[in-house]
Amino acid sequence: MKQGFVLRRLLQIVPTVMGVVLVGFLLIHIAPGDPVLALAGEHGDAEYYAFMRSRFGLDEPLPRQLVTYFARVATGDFGVSYVHGRSTARVIMERVPATLLLTGSALLMTIVISIPLGALAARRPHSARDIGISTAALVLFSAPVFWVGQLAIFALALKLGVFPVQGMASAGSASTGGSHTIDVVRHLALPAMVLASQELAALVRLTRSGLMDELARDHIRTARAKGVGEPWVLMRHALPRALMPVITVIGARAGQLIAGAVVVEIVFGWPGIGRLLLTSLQTRDTPLLLGLFLVISFTVTLANLVTDLLHSTVDPRVRLG
Amino acid sequence: MAETISAAAVRVESIGQRPVFRGIAGRRAALAGAALLVIMIVVAMFAPLLATIDPFAVSGPSLAPPSSDHLMGTDALGRDLFSGLVYGARASLLIAAAVGLLALVCGVSIGILAGYRGGVIDDLLMRFTELFQVMPRFILVAVMIALFGPGLDRVVLTLGLTSWPVLARVVRGEILATRNLEFVLSAEALGATQMRIFWRVLLPQVMPSVLVLVGLMLGQVLLLEASLGFLGLGDPNTLTWGMLAGQAQGYLRVAWWLPLFPGLAITLSVLGFNLFADGLAADLQRR
Amino acid sequence: MASLLICGISCTGEQPPRGGGTLVAAITTDPGHLNTAITTNGGVHNAAGLLYNGLVSLDETLKPVPDLAERWEVEDAGALYRFHLRRDVLWHDGRPFTAADVKFTFDELLLKFHARTRASVGPALLRIDTPDDSTVEFHFRRPYAPLLLQLDVEEAPIMPKHLFERGDPLQNPANTAPVGTGPFRFVSYRSGSEIRYASNKQYFRGAPSLDNVVMRIVPDLGTQLVALEAGEVHWLFGVPGPERARIRRDPRFKLIQTPGVSGGSNCVTTLGFNLDRPLFRDVRMRRAIAHALDRRQFVDRVLFGEGRVADAPISSRIAFAHARDLAMPAFDTAQAARYLDSVGWRRDGTAVRTSRGVSGTADGTPLVVGFTAMPGQGVYGDLLRAQLRAVGVDLRIELLEPAVFGQKVFTARDFDTAIVAYCNGTDPEIGVRRQYVSTNIAPVPFSNLAAYRNPVMDSLFDHAASALKVAERQRVYREIQELAIRDQPYVWLVETLSTYAHSIRCNGLAASSHFAVKASCTE
Repeated sequence: MKQGFVLRRLLQIVPTVMGVVLVGFLLIHIAPGDPVLALAGEHGDAEYYAFMRSRFGLDEPLPRQLVTYFARVATGDFGVSYVHGRSTARVIMERVPATLLLTGSALLMTIVISIPLGALAARRPHSARDIGISTAALVLFSAPVFWVGQLAIFALALKLGVFPVQGMASAGSASTGGSHTIDVVRHLALPAMVLASQELAALVRLTRSGLMDELARDHIRTARAKGVGEPWVLMRHALPRALMPVITVIGARAGQLIAGAVVVEIVFGWPGIGRLLLTSLQTRDTPLLLGLFLVISFTVTLANLVTDLLHSTVDPRVRLG
Repeated sequence: MAETISAAAVRVESIGQRPVFRGIAGRRAALAGAALLVIMIVVAMFAPLLATIDPFAVSGPSLAPPSSDHLMGTDALGRDLFSGLVYGARASLLIAAAVGLLALVCGVSIGILAGYRGGVIDDLLMRFTELFQVMPRFILVAVMIALFGPGLDRVVLTLGLTSWPVLARVVRGEILATRNLEFVLSAEALGATQMRIFWRVLLPQVMPSVLVLVGLMLGQVLLLEASLGFLGLGDPNTLTWGMLAGQAQGYLRVAWWLPLFPGLAITLSVLGFNLFADGLAADLQRR
Repeated sequence: MASLLICGISCTGEQPPRGGGTLVAAITTDPGHLNTAITTNGGVHNAAGLLYNGLVSLDETLKPVPDLAERWEVEDAGALYRFHLRRDVLWHDGRPFTAADVKFTFDELLLKFHARTRASVGPALLRIDTPDDSTVEFHFRRPYAPLLLQLDVEEAPIMPKHLFERGDPLQNPANTAPVGTGPFRFVSYRSGSEIRYASNKQYFRGAPSLDNVVMRIVPDLGTQLVALEAGEVHWLFGVPGPERARIRRDPRFKLIQTPGVSGGSNCVTTLGFNLDRPLFRDVRMRRAIAHALDRRQFVDRVLFGEGRVADAPISSRIAFAHARDLAMPAFDTAQAARYLDSVGWRRDGTAVRTSRGVSGTADGTPLVVGFTAMPGQGVYGDLLRAQLRAVGVDLRIELLEPAVFGQKVFTARDFDTAIVAYCNGTDPEIGVRRQYVSTNIAPVPFSNLAAYRNPVMDSLFDHAASALKVAERQRVYREIQELAIRDQPYVWLVETLSTYAHSIRCNGLAASSHFAVKASCTE
């Protein structure tokens, strides 16, 4: 049964992925101008364009072009970035680790902070504490992430000097090993916190909801009636079930997380794919932009898949719709 | 109904099923939210009366702090920030409304179609929906701008055509849950046409949830548009709050008012949407 | 930019103590590649100037002194230049530098891709000969006076033929792993983050004091300043306007001000009219806009005082050619209004003028003028919009990234007005001629923006280039400027300056491409 589920879920990805590639293909061809520009950039000469044309089969009838494009994407060939002079996929992969570091840290922070807060709020629903926490979360949820970043830079970096203002490591430092790690962590702190604040709000509310749901269930009441201590009730019985939406939310909000990461990276000068997105837009490096579009879409799909699978292992009630 | 990732996503979009406020407090929250929104709308509508200074004109000294002449200070060129914010309300509201309308029409139609027809059409539409849910809106707008050039219509179209998935899912869910209920079946039995059922029965059925979701979505769209403006991807011939915030980036140290007020305006407006939606959800739950 | 050691605020030219150390400089954008011969993009020149040399370099008085060439002869009254190259120069990969490299760089790189060299040297050059491995001859069609001012590392950096002779230069991997002859050699390039150089121990002028140079990519000028003050970087290529006064007063830092910017010098920010558009065929329209502009305000609000109003079509820094007391249109909104009225654009109680009897335009059309610029110059657009609103012109701004800007403005010529910073260089032949001669109306960025065609102007420029006496050239350039003002294809807004800042922990720094060659830093 389980394997069947996994297989079916995996298979479900295929049409989505193909749909994304199709959208990419359509964008290339709908845009004004020669499609080869979208794949090879705007500064090549005739010879280079001829080469790219044949590589992507642009002189062939449209259906065959589509197949060729699929084949190319499948082998990881998204075109060549003019500005960087090498394959788009390479350029993107170089920047991915920095973004992973940022988003990973932010998620970690979020989980660590929001679960206890959500639990606190759920313990006494509609109390002053609950309203306080939930409203604070709501306000944070409403604030644009760049504003939180600007305020953080102003207060913590410029005025108080607690954190470095931007970048991933101190300039000029050729340090390695331990001191380099510490340096990176110092630079990571502020952007990760700012990014975390965006996710925090959603997670606090979700944990709270999930816990409130669980705490109202019969078996909890039974446990309480049996005299099981309150904290124990929370921990053993309610929390694990309530944590499922936490897992789910990471997948479901992947798209927003990436958008947030893009802005945070730009505000803090963090050298990840967010900055790459902006500069590729500024230089009209269309192959790179399209490559980013594909990569990010795939990532979101993957995140959805992983959380679905995780979700299913934790809660056998969940199946495919 | 078995839960899938997308249904969970819907719950996520609703920032949790359990609203903060219970009962009457829910009403109050919704009203508070509505009040914020009304303020924003009034400001936008009466912009020329509120801001007598032309936001594009050089009307004061460069980088002047808030004063009686310039309530929120001036920017590097000497343009009045308060006027910029007031007129920015117009731009931001219009964009949000346009996107909201587009997404509403798409989402509700697709949701009702999928929920009511079911079967193969439902499957196809849901796959289609998932595709749009997966594509990152932000990146898509960037790609559109790169391919087609900058412009407000591009942003509105792109955002509008990618914000409907959650709406569609919720609508479909509601339809699925209620289509076999008595009053629907009896309406069908009485020979009511599809259109009639749609307008008289289904639409009122889904409206409350849709309203909540639309409130949330408008808040999200406002945030997205602000981010785009912040990054300089907006139309330079209009002034939006995001653009004002983006222009402040180089002056964080010398002019605290430049980043503070635009961001505040955005936060309060989005809060308005969220409070309204949350309060409304509480109210609905009560019933 | 010529290797100018002109210091406005302070000059740090003393011999540094035997040092070493690492200098960290901040740059605003990831340059994408490090080949300065195929672009005049300032970002690339800032990042990569240290890697290369030119045939000559220019001292403080703009006199050419030997660099890669140790001596030269000028014959045929300037129609033939012969350079004798040093024999002891090695490329960073160990191969010897020869005349073939010079010929290749000009023929295949500079004359094809470098906007100024292509427009100035290009049309005048007949061919380049290399009689032997260390001699290069430039043969011109007619005497070409300014050549020696265009051969420094800023205008004509020399690239290695053995790495570029095969394939498309624009896609060459050596663009991101460059090999040059300069005082520093390439170590690493972490995309989006930093570029590292190490000192070239075999540098033909003697190894530099510094051990390493790091170019840190810090996109925001304000943040760069914070990094400077935090001691994280030592050298900035620019200081944000509002902060300059404060940094000037701070004893920990020194400011250097020069008329050069990376990628060019003596730049004049110029508003160009698309003369192919019916709207601007009438000179009264162009004059109207010229009179509507308060150029002083541009210096104050956009440049924060770092610059001056352009009082002539040629930069005041080219002293012999810059004409004084010309009848440039003054800031006079009444006069602007009169011109607009006379063309037929009336103010009928509306904020924006509408047409009444303007040929080719239906009555009642509002006066909407398009404006195209690169994002870096968006501020000019904002101020232009504000000033033109006052006379009833509705300016619509379009900001395009450099690649698209070049395409739309110079190739497709799809614009009404546009702004370009024309760097004049050290002689009008370098950066001024290209704006006015009809032969330079080309789909090449930074060519003749207005598509200005005037045979009188063309012949004036020919005359100026081949005249031998300075007094003669001065006279001709004056005529050129007077004609330019009469025809008003452009509005010359401001002359720009650059301010560099550095920490006093480093000295021996100068405002030039080789800014760090004599520098050393203490910890």
